[in-house]
Order: sequence, then C-alpha cells, then structure tokens
Amino acid sequence: MADDASNPSPIDRRRFLSVLGISGAGAAVLSGCSTGQVQKLIPYLVQSEDQIPGVATWYASTCSECAAGCGLHVKTREGRAVKLEGNPEHPVNRGKLCSRGQAALQGLYNPGRLKAPMVRAAGGGFQEITWDDAIQRLAAKLGAAGGKVAVISGAGRGTLSDLLADWTAALGGRLVRYRPFDHEPMRAANRAVFGRDELPAHDFGRAEYILSFGADFLETWLAPVENQRGFARSHGFHDGRMAKHVSFAPRMSLTGQNADEWHAIRPGSEAALALALANLLVTEHGAAGGPLAASLAAFTPESAAKESGVPAETIRRIAREFAAAKPSLAVAGGVASQHRGAIEACAAVNVLNWVAGNIGQTVLFGADLDAGDGAAGLDALGSALDGGQVAVLLVHEANPLYAVPRSAGFAARFAKAGFKVSTSPYLDETAAQCDLLLPDHHGIERWDDARPRAGVVGLMQPVMEPVFKTMATGDLLLKTAQKVGGALAKFNAPSYEAHLKARWADFAKAQGQADAEGFWRAGLQRGGVFTEPPAVEVKPVPGFTPAYTAPGFDGTGEFYFAPHVSSFLYDGRGANKPWLLENPDPVSKITWQSWVEVHPATAARLDVRNGEILRLTSPQGSIDVPVYVYPGLHPDVLSVPLGLGHTEYGSYAKGRGVNALDLVASKAGQPFVPYLSARVTVAKTGTYRKLASTEGNPRQLGRGIAEAMPVALAAKGLSVREAAAAEGHAEGEANPEREVEALKGWAAEVHERTRKGDYARELPQWGMTIDLAKCTGCSACVTACYAENNIPTVGEDEIHRGREMTWMRIERYWEGADPASPNGGAVEARFVPMLCQQCADAPCEPVCPVYAAYHTADGLNGQVYNRCVGTRYCANNCPYKVRYFNWYKYNDHAWPEPLNLQLNPDVTVRARGVMEKCTFCVQRIRGAQNQARLEGRPLKDGVFTTACAQACPSDAIVFGDLNDPQSRVRQASQDHRGYHVLEELNTRPAITYLAKVTNRTEA
Amino acid sequence: MAVLAHEPVITQTHADVTRDVVATLEKPSTGYVLLFFGAVGLFLVGALTLLILVKDGLGHAGYQPPIFWSVYITTFVFWIGIGHAGTLISAILYLFRSPWRTAVYRSTEAMTVFAVMTAALFPIIHIGRQWLFYWLLPYPNQRFLWPNFKSPLLWDVFAITTYFTVSTTFLVYGLVPDVAAVRDKVGGWRKLVYKFASAGWLGTDNQWRHYSRAYLYLAALATPLVLSVHSVVSWDFAMALVPGWHGTIFAPYFVAGAIYSGLGMVMTLVIPLRRALKLEHMITKYHFDNLAKLTLLTGSILFYAYGMEYFIAWYSGNTFEQTTFFRRAFGPYWWAGWTMITCNAFVSQLLWFKKIRTNLTALFVVSIFINIGMWFERYVIIVSSLSNDFIPWAWDGLNPTWADWGILAGSFGWFGMWFLLFARTFPIVAIQEIKEMIPLPRRRGGQH
Amino acid sequence: MAGRSRIVPGVLASFEHIDAATDAIKALRAGGHKDLVVYCSHPNHELEEALEAPVSPVRLFTLIGGLTGTTAATAMTIWMNLDWPTLVGGKAIAAIPAFVAIMFELTVLIGGLASVAGVIILVLMGTRRGVMYDPRFSDDRIGVFVPAGGEVAPGVERLFRDAGAVEVRHAEA
Repeated sequence: MADDASNPSPIDRRRFLSVLGISGAGAAVLSGCSTGQVQKLIPYLVQSEDQIPGVATWYASTCSECAAGCGLHVKTREGRAVKLEGNPEHPVNRGKLCSRGQAALQGLYNPGRLKAPMVRAAGGGFQEITWDDAIQRLAAKLGAAGGKVAVISGAGRGTLSDLLADWTAALGGRLVRYRPFDHEPMRAANRAVFGRDELPAHDFGRAEYILSFGADFLETWLAPVENQRGFARSHGFHDGRMAKHVSFAPRMSLTGQNADEWHAIRPGSEAALALALANLLVTEHGAAGGPLAASLAAFTPESAAKESGVPAETIRRIAREFAAAKPSLAVAGGVASQHRGAIEACAAVNVLNWVAGNIGQTVLFGADLDAGDGAAGLDALGSALDGGQVAVLLVHEANPLYAVPRSAGFAARFAKAGFKVSTSPYLDETAAQCDLLLPDHHGIERWDDARPRAGVVGLMQPVMEPVFKTMATGDLLLKTAQKVGGALAKFNAPSYEAHLKARWADFAKAQGQADAEGFWRAGLQRGGVFTEPPAVEVKPVPGFTPAYTAPGFDGTGEFYFAPHVSSFLYDGRGANKPWLLENPDPVSKITWQSWVEVHPATAARLDVRNGEILRLTSPQGSIDVPVYVYPGLHPDVLSVPLGLGHTEYGSYAKGRGVNALDLVASKAGQPFVPYLSARVTVAKTGTYRKLASTEGNPRQLGRGIAEAMPVALAAKGLSVREAAAAEGHAEGEANPEREVEALKGWAAEVHERTRKGDYARELPQWGMTIDLAKCTGCSACVTACYAENNIPTVGEDEIHRGREMTWMRIERYWEGADPASPNGGAVEARFVPMLCQQCADAPCEPVCPVYAAYHTADGLNGQVYNRCVGTRYCANNCPYKVRYFNWYKYNDHAWPEPLNLQLNPDVTVRARGVMEKCTFCVQRIRGAQNQARLEGRPLKDGVFTTACAQACPSDAIVFGDLNDPQSRVRQASQDHRGYHVLEELNTRPAITYLAKVTNRTEA
Repeated sequence: MAVLAHEPVITQTHADVTRDVVATLEKPSTGYVLLFFGAVGLFLVGALTLLILVKDGLGHAGYQPPIFWSVYITTFVFWIGIGHAGTLISAILYLFRSPWRTAVYRSTEAMTVFAVMTAALFPIIHIGRQWLFYWLLPYPNQRFLWPNFKSPLLWDVFAITTYFTVSTTFLVYGLVPDVAAVRDKVGGWRKLVYKFASAGWLGTDNQWRHYSRAYLYLAALATPLVLSVHSVVSWDFAMALVPGWHGTIFAPYFVAGAIYSGLGMVMTLVIPLRRALKLEHMITKYHFDNLAKLTLLTGSILFYAYGMEYFIAWYSGNTFEQTTFFRRAFGPYWWAGWTMITCNAFVSQLLWFKKIRTNLTALFVVSIFINIGMWFERYVIIVSSLSNDFIPWAWDGLNPTWADWGILAGSFGWFGMWFLLFARTFPIVAIQEIKEMIPLPRRRGGQH
Repeated sequence: MAGRSRIVPGVLASFEHIDAATDAIKALRAGGHKDLVVYCSHPNHELEEALEAPVSPVRLFTLIGGLTGTTAATAMTIWMNLDWPTLVGGKAIAAIPAFVAIMFELTVLIGGLASVAGVIILVLMGTRRGVMYDPRFSDDRIGVFVPAGGEVAPGVERLFRDAGAVEVRHAEA
C-alpha cells in the first residue's frame, strides 16, 4: 500500500539534506557543542562521529512557555527536534514536563510562524525584506529617536533580559518587563507582610495539610510541574498516610477537583476565611500569634461564614485539622482569584502560614521566583505613550494587545508610538499593529540562559538549524547596536553566543571556577548550573495589621464573572498549537471551543442546557458563548476560560472562541488586573452550538472503573473489594463470588495456552500501574502520547462525531451527588487514564480476520497497521474502547507544513481506513532492547519507559517488566489497592490501577 | 404424488402452462420498463456514494465511536436474511413434499440469489480499505500469511460464498428444463440464446433419471446450509463481548428472523408480480395462505426470542446486560426498539385471522411492516447495543448521513435491477414442476 | 439436434396420453426393444415405472464431494494455523471448535458442486447423439424413440399406432 507508513507530506529533499548536513556540522549528545550557523550544505559523505542517522541526539535546554523555567531535554533526529522531555537534573521539574512545555514543539514548527523579516507596506499589508535592510531601518529609527525608546519584554530573567535592559538604558529608553500573569498581588502582599518584594517557593512535598484559597497550583500557579510533583509526594498515599487538601474557591478548578474537600466560597472572601483560621489557630490551638494576635481577634469564624458561605463549624473543624498537621501549607493568589481584594487575600494567607509556622518550612523565601513589572509597568508606559514620549517601541515575547483587557484602552495608547517593532515569531495581535517585524528564533533554535529563581541558571542552546529565516533577538540587538553606534557601540560582541559565553565567563569567576570553558560545557551538558539558594528568615514587618474588606465588583448583573486560566492555553499563547486545542480541557473535557460554566441549579433556573449560547454582558462588554453545565461552581458564578478569541495569531487561533478579557474591568492606575471583578447579566440568544466535548456518560454506574477508598481503610491495607465491603457498599463486581473461583481456574488454563509455541520462551511481560491517588488528571501524558506516537489532531468537526484519536484519554467520573441536581456542587471527581490495557486474553485479537491484531511474545496487543483492512470488529469487541479508527485521511490534514517536521521517525503515520491504538510505545521498547543487545547487557528496569510515564509530573504511571521480580511495576502491581478495570470480563489486563485514596472527614 | 391428496390447485393443461409462462417473457409493459430504470437509478446513487467513500474514507458515513458498525452491517444482515425464505421454500418444503411451494419457489429462489448477491457487497463496502478485501481469503501470498479462521468474519466469508454458490447452482439447475421448454416455443435470436442456455436439454428418460435424483440431494444439502448461514451471521455478534450481542439464543433467533423477513419480502415481491405477469390462476390465495401461516410461525418465534432476551438480561443479574436492555426500550433508541417489536412481534400476530391471510392487499401491507421491522431489528441490535457498552465515558449516539442512506438505496436498486431482469428473461414459474402436478390425459380416462 | 451429427435410424412416436405411452413402452420392451429414448416435459413416474430404470448413481458423487469438503477444510484450517502460529486472545493455535463452521460450509459447497458435476457426467455418458426430437416434447407430448431401422421399422410403427401414438416418424441413416 502506497499510503501505508509513508509520511503524509514528506520533508522536501533540500530541507532534509540541509538539516542533515547542519547537524552533521557539529552536534553532540548533551554536549557543549551547538549546531551553529552553516556555511554550506553537506550530505553525509563523511559520517560525523556524533550524528548517526536513525539514532536520536539529545540536547539540554530550558522551557520558556511560562515563568517557571523548567529544564528540557530535546530529542532530535537527523537534525530535527522531535520531542521535548523534562531534564531530570533540573531542580524545578526533575525530568517532568507539562502539556504546555511539550507543545512548545508545535510553536517551533507552527505554520503561523513569520518566515522572514517584514515591513509594513504602503498598502497596509506586510512585505518581506532582508535582514540587512531590516536592521538598517531599525537602526535609523533608533538613531533618530533621541532616547524616546521603549521596550516591552516578556522574556524571563536571563542574559538576554540583561542585554535588553543595558541596551535600552544605553539608548536612554525605558524597559518594561511585562507578563500577563505576574502574580502582582502576591508580591504586594509579601511586601506588606514580610517586607520582601518577591515570590517565594512552596514545598508541597513536605506539607501534611494543604489549604488552597483559589490558587490553582496544579495548573498555572507559579511552577505547576514542581507543585504537582510535590503534591503527588505528600497527597499521594504512601506508608499508610497522606496529606489532606482542602480547597476554598468559587470554582472547582483541576486543583479543586484534586482536593479532598472543596468549598464553593463567595468570590472575594478568601481573606475573611484565612484570617478566621489564623485567629482560631492562635486562640484555640495554641499557635503563637505574636504581634498579630490582637489584630486577628476580630476575625471570627462566624463573620467568615457570613462572608464566604462556609459554615462556621466547618471552619472550626478545618482549623483543628490544620493546626494538628505540621508542617502545613496555605496558598493563595493566581488569576482565578485575582479580585480587587487579592492583595488582602494573599496577605491573610501569609499571616495564616506565619501563624501556623510554615514560613521557612513549606514557604521558602529567598527563592525569588521570576516576575516582571506587571500591569503597573505597562500602565506607566501607557502614560508615556499618551505623552508622545515613545518614538520607537520594541515588543519582545509579549502580546499586550491580546492579553491586556480591552477596557484598559491599551490598544489606543499603543497606536500612539511613533514606530512599532515586534520580534514575535508569530503574527500575533501586537505584531499585526507593528511597522517592522523582526521574527525571533524559537526558544530551542537559539542561545540564551534563564534564571527562573535564585540558584537556578538554565541554559538554552540551538538544537537545530532554524526552520525559517529568523534571527535571534540577541544577535539582532548586537547588530543593531553596531549600526547605531554611539552609546550602543559598547555592545560589540561578534554574536550573541559570544556575548553569552562572555557573561558565563564572568559567572564562572563569580562561582570561583577557574576553567570557564569547562564550566560552560558542564552547564550545557547538565542544562544549567543549579545550587541551593540560602534560605531567608522573614517575619511580619512591625505595624502590619491584617485586614479584610469585601472587594467591589463592577456592574449590577446577578452573576459574578470569574474567568479562569486554561491549563493548556495559559495567557493565550497555547491557542495556536493543535495539541493544546485538541487535548480535552482537564476540567470540562471540551476541545477547540470557548464555553461558559454554569452551575446545574442555575442552569435549571435559567432553563439552559449544554451548548445553548448565552450572551454575558458586563459594563465592559459582552460575549456570546455556549453553556457547559458544571457542578463545580458557586451557584452565583459564571466562569469562562481565558486564552481564546484571538483576532490574529495564525490559522489555528484566529477567530476561535471568545476572549473572556472583554468583560474584565482594567482601569489605569491599578497595580494589577482584577480578573474577577465584573458582575454580568445573562441573556438567552436562542442559538445553539454543539460542544466539542469528549465526555460520554460521566457516571460510573457502579462499574468499578475508578475505584477509591478512604485513607482509614487504605491504611489497613484493604483491597478495593474489602474496602467496599467494610463501607457496607454492595460490591460492584458483576460476577457473584461462586463464579469468580471458576473464572480463576479457567483463566489459569487459558494463561497456559497463551504460552504456547513461540510464546513459551521466558520473555518480559510488559505491564503498567497507574496510581489514581497520584493522578491529578493534568493530561500531560496525553500530550506526550500525541507527540511520541504521531497521533493526528482531527479538529472540532470530527470531535463532534466522537472521532478523537487520543490513544490515551483521561476519563473524569463524578461520584456523589448527581451533577444535574441542584446540590450538584457536592461531587467528587475521579480520574482514570484510559489506554490500551494490553490484555493477556484480549477480546480484540481473535476477531480480526487478518491477524492485524495479535499478541506479541512479550505480552503486548500488537497492531499491524499495514495488515489492517479496517473491519473495526476489534474496536466493537474492545470493552475499554481504546481503539481508534482513521475515518478520513487524517494524516493529510493533521500536520500542515512545517508541523510534519515534528513527526517521530520511529512511528508509522497511519493511513486512512486502519485501526490504531496504544502499544506501550513499542518503538521505545524495541529501541531499548536493541541498545541493550548491542551493548551486550541485560535490559535493566527503568532504563526506559513509555512517553506517558516519562511525562507524568506526579509519577503516577509506572511501566516495566512484570516478570522481573525486582521491577518497580511488579512491586506496585502487587499493592493492596491494585485492581483491574472490568476484571469480571477476565481479559486479564497488563495495567493495574491503584485505587484513589480520599482523606475526608465525614462531617 | 402426495399432492393429489390436496384439492387440485391448478386447472389447466400442460399446453396452457407452457403458453402462459412463455407469455411472461414477451414484450415488457411500460410499467415494467419504468420500474427497471428506477432500480438502475437507485443503483447508480449507491455506486456514486461508494465511489466517494473509497476516495475519501468511511468518514462520510455517520459512524460515531463507539458505534463502529452501523447502517451498512444492518443492511448486510437484512439482505442475508431475505435470502433465507427462498431456500426454505425451494429446498426445505421440497423435502417435505409441500405442494404449494411449486408455484412460488422459482421467484423466491431468484430472490435468494439476488439478495445474497446484494448482501455479499456489504462486507466489502463497510471495511476501511475496500480494495484489500481479498486479504480475508486464504490464498498463498508472498509471505504466506493466512487469514484468521478463529474470527467469525472468516466463517462469514465461507458461509456467504457457499450460500451464494449453492443457491445459484440450485436456481440454474432448476431452470434448465424450463429454458428448454422456452427454447422450443420462441424463434429468432432468442431461440439461439435459450438453446445455449438449455445446455442441450431434451427431457429424455436418462436425463430425468439423474436430474431428479441430484435435485433431491441438492435440496438435502441446501437445507442445513440455510440454517447454518444465518447462525454464522448471528455469531458475528454472539461471539463478541458487547452486551446485547453476547447471547446463546442468537443463532435460532436470527434464523427465525431471517426466514420471517424473507417471507415478508416474498409477499412484497410476488403479490404485485403475479398481477403484472398475469399468473393469478397459478399463484393463488391458497399459496399466500400458506406463506402467511409460515410467517405467523416465524413471527411468533421472534416474539418469544424478544421476550427471552429481556428475561435473560434481567435474570442474569449482569449489570451491563441490564443497562443495555433497559436503554434499548427506554434509552435514546427507544423509537427503533419499539418499531422492531411492533412490526415483528405484534403485526405478525394479525396473521392468525384467515381473512387477513387471504386478503392480498392486507398481506401486502403486513409484508411492508415486516420488511421495515426486520431492518430495524438489526439496527437496534447493532447500533443501540454498541452505543452503550462497558465504559460509560465512551458512550455516544449515531447520526446516519447521506452516505448511509445512499448505500442503502443503492442496495435496493441493485437487487431490484437483477430481480426484474430475471423475471423478464426466465420462467418465473417452474413449468416442469407445475406440469408434474397436472395429470396427463388418458385414453381410458380417470386417474390411476 | 437431429441432423447436425450423424442421424440414428429409427422410429419416433409421440403420444398425447400417458397410458398410451406406457402401454407402448411395455409392449416394446416385451418385444425385445430394451434400448429406448423416452421424451417428456417433466419427470414422470409412470414412465419411469414402465422403463424400470435403476436408481441414478449420482449420490456417490454427492457423498464423495461432501467428504472431500470436510477433509479439505479440516486440513486447511489446521495446517494454515500451524504454518504461521499467531496467538490471539489466549486461544489455542489450532482451535478446532472455531473451525467447525468452515468444515461444514466446505462440505456443503463441494458436495453440491460434485452432485451437479455428477449429473453432467452421467447424462453425457448415457446420451446418444443424433436421435430424432420434436419441440412439442417439452410442451405436452410424450415421445418414444426406437433405434430400429430397415425391416424392423414397420413392425414398430404398427405397435405404436395400436398403442395410440398420435404421430409416428421414421429416421433413415
């Protein structure tokens, strides 16, 4: 078959040779070398010793998708980056990576990237120019600007930011470091309470009790991957115990869904709660209130109950539990709870932490997480723009015209700049308004370093020849400096690489390293230089008194408008990456769309249903958006995800969904954007739009798919069925006891048969365990699976028809009250990563008429794409519904040039008309086995793993050989919490799920 | 022959029979021509749809996982089922020496062959890579990969091939003496055609001796065959885990249903046909009365099977089965479920009344209900069962599209095209068997 | 047909009445004319009785064909599975029960085709070419042909007339 196995849109030969040649020019496995710039293209006539076609080369780098600055390992094949994974040595993410980080690859190969420098043409459009020309034009403008220069930069702390600062200063201009989500309230609160203007680090791993006041720390709050790793360590069930997580928030975010208790509070009441708890700790639980004790007395549980709607006795109970746990951790802040009282809220939580003695234990000052100047900085620049003080405005790694709420009127002020320059690699909203476009390299095409926090310096190195005719902004600045001369003449490094190495030479000196070059190479190899920052003692500044004033809201609408940050789209930069659009939102399971979350009771009252389009109107504007009825919401709150509704930013993002910021009030002179500050009125439009949701029936119907048990029973070492019996539930087992025995016997007999002929040899039996006590449903594994296995994105229309191809999906089941009922808020979410169970007695295999589905000797359900004729019988007969069919030629549409360059060369791209499925990343298994064979060593446990297990920030997934008694997976699969989904069907899956453990106080 | 025990069915001489039957092969009426081209039109619709499916992929059809089989397999089972009544009447009733089959069996046999011909297309149409269907056959390919005989689909391949071959042989075999009779009546080029088709048949004692004997054995082989074919088709479902498919009752239940649907189709076809071809005096109410009785029997068996499915679902205590059957009656597919039960279980019970059994208009209406009901039976079994199986998170519904209806229409066109063509070209009533039942004149008069 | 190949000399009588035909046949056989060709538009038992024809041996073809089918299917399914042993669903490599359906179908298929082949062979063996024929035999007449030329012919014709033949024709070499 011609259409089998063939790359849907093959790389054209010249590019292929070029990348081949370039990487030949000098790459190294995690070595200090870089691809550099090539002079001429050479095919592999002479084999370069560190580039073997067919063998991956890995480079260490740093992620720049958010401020956390996680470490990367970039996998390249024949000179193309094909996968991003976490750097195990990096202290922030320890080898793990979130969906956004992994999807950076689709930013690199994005079809919407600018392919060359462009200048605004007379006609209004843009026209392509040469770099020399571009630099000439910029230099001329800068020369003429006479110091009236401004730079907006979203670049993280690092050498480029420094250069940018010096460069701007030398020009006599002003630099604003602006990121939309800058956590200004937290810093303000830390300034107020502890007198330190910084963002501390938080050690979730040590916390015995976690209180979250609206902080979505598993999604976008500070360093999500680090948070999740810590959370899994403390909240995951281990040696009979686990931390408890209580969440106070108007909306049940993914973080809230992972809480043992979620309390739907009235928006803006966090401070009241936190202070009441602090008060209780001091008055009733003997915590040292110190100077604050007196001022806390005013905050009684009763008043807090009145403000928040959480019953006073619940507050007392939580205070009791919180006081008993040491150390504990309370967190606040984040966009979702950024109302006008956000600073007070953060301050209150600081107080709570201090009273509980968490400062220095789980709240670590001195870490000084990276943050910019925030909205205030942009606001100040705004007035300069108004005053005509900006002749040249350079925008770098920022998209203020999208991320600043329209109500702030920034667009108008932006337009007043004389000459506007953008270095954005994409034609985003801001770039579209600029006069000169100087597209920057993507993060993994260029040199740089990042200092996301004290003690952590991550390096970024170009791992491949740039995809397009772009230029690293560092080089741009240096070249321009030479052209402008004058004060800029001092920036005379031949290239940014040289500049960076020079800075590192200084750094080496500062570190007392004699051999600068060795230091540099070591840094490149490890991905940076990582040291423990000295901890800083902090205590409340004298005279600080905690306060709570109910925050004000604009408008008179009956609903609070609470926009939330999508953990995929973040500040909108995810909207042009198909992986992030197609991967179902972890909370709503909706893809490719905007939606408004409505509480079931509210929906019943308004008489609206899923997909019905509502018009939300705030004083600032109105949006039309389809309803998603969601139980995890305060009944008076409507919530819409941020990040969509782009007017530019490439074909994927443009015109998709609505921009929730249009309803947000953002006035001049305020220290931060109060995202949660509007009240909205709703009006039915009478129109409908089917939700592109992957959610089927969200109830388990007692089928024991996502099992759970209370920590008390788990501590006794009970199995799922014993626990169910202990709780007096009728067991979900479909087979009565007497049949189970018979089945077991039969199973054993069948198992004997499965070891016939070729299968009799003593071979590994690949297996997996998934610990539901650790899984947070973040879906990083799903993105990893897309990246590793060349899974096509099918788009909104096909998802309407249930045809998503996610080999691995996160099923989210509701337990407890019926979400459709008015008290639907009281529900528990359970996550089950569902992928091929690689059954030993697989129902899918015998029904295939052509043996396309068969059992491999090492216990996998093989799927021979070339042999498949597409009867789809296997999919009908798969009880887990984890087989996916190519209804159309998805491979023709899923990877428009140059996205196809990302495809993993080790995995077939499936043709139309064939069935596909997870095979435990068989390409990785075989790769590792061959490597071991070549090196004449046995394949040891843990030397490789599947893409999903590798990515999982919680380490919930363990993969390995079940026949190896020492393997982690073997140990884990014998855990007392272990169970198989649909065990009664006797399919004997190779995946063992470990039941979730809940830590609830039955009140 | 046993027939003489019955009331004499036909009151004409041998010469009349030959004349009347040969008359059906004369110039076609405009009505017939219109009907024929109508069928061809429908067929073209189907062909065009298939073309698009092969070009772009099956995505155009309404498939919506977890529903991986839908209208195509439904229609496949529907047509296979139709065939069964034909073989039943021509083979089984032959063994039972049932006299009333004689007048109708040729048309039902033709129906069988064309129905199977239609059905046989669907396994090819419905697969993802239609051009590779031959991979299901055990032929020695370059790598000596053999098909998987453990898969019920392979059983299907063999069952359908066998069924098609044997029923075609049966039809052609029975035709030979009649074609010879036509040969001796017509002239011109048609004589040449029929002469060729009659394969040198003269009706000598020697020919009849072997012919009649072999006919008996063919009937004896076709009888278990027809029972096996639909059993195998039912195992496509019964062998799977899907709740609502996984039932031991399936084989007999499907066979009864198949014959039931076939009888419905026989009536739908023969009632108009006998008028169009002026065969009222050969195919009489007596025949339809008997057809209707058989329909009543099979319909009642279905009634029982439906009841039993629900009983077992409840009695088994299996939560999956229970959910499936509850939703079959009250879930999103309640309308299909009740259509099936009404048309098959309830409507068939009308046939207890002789008034209805002998009123052709009434019978025709009933037969239409049967056809609809039996199509929906398969639709319900396939679609509604798949829509809600083990993993609730994967549940979804089906939205059939133009591609589904196009192929469905095409199948009717394809079938009608062949059947009409046949009815015009070959004796639709078995001349020699009718004659066998008409005593030849005697010089001494009286019967022997 | 007559006339194309070499013509068999003899007498052909056609009857309208079945009893007449049977009388004639019986008389002829009594008269030593055992080798007759009798035409009829349908299988007629009275004629068969009069001819005292033995049972057709075609059933042997059916039996052998059927058995061949069974063995072929058994051999094919088992051998092909062993030839490329692939494990599916934990079932045995040669899972006989799953093959029964195929064995049955092939039995019927080959059995049926063999029977038809048998008929063709037997008929061809028993048919003599160039015998006189009359189109009305496929309609409502019964024909009896006696391969008796020369001086015997008149006697045969007389016998036919007495029996009640409506028409008698002679075929000369």
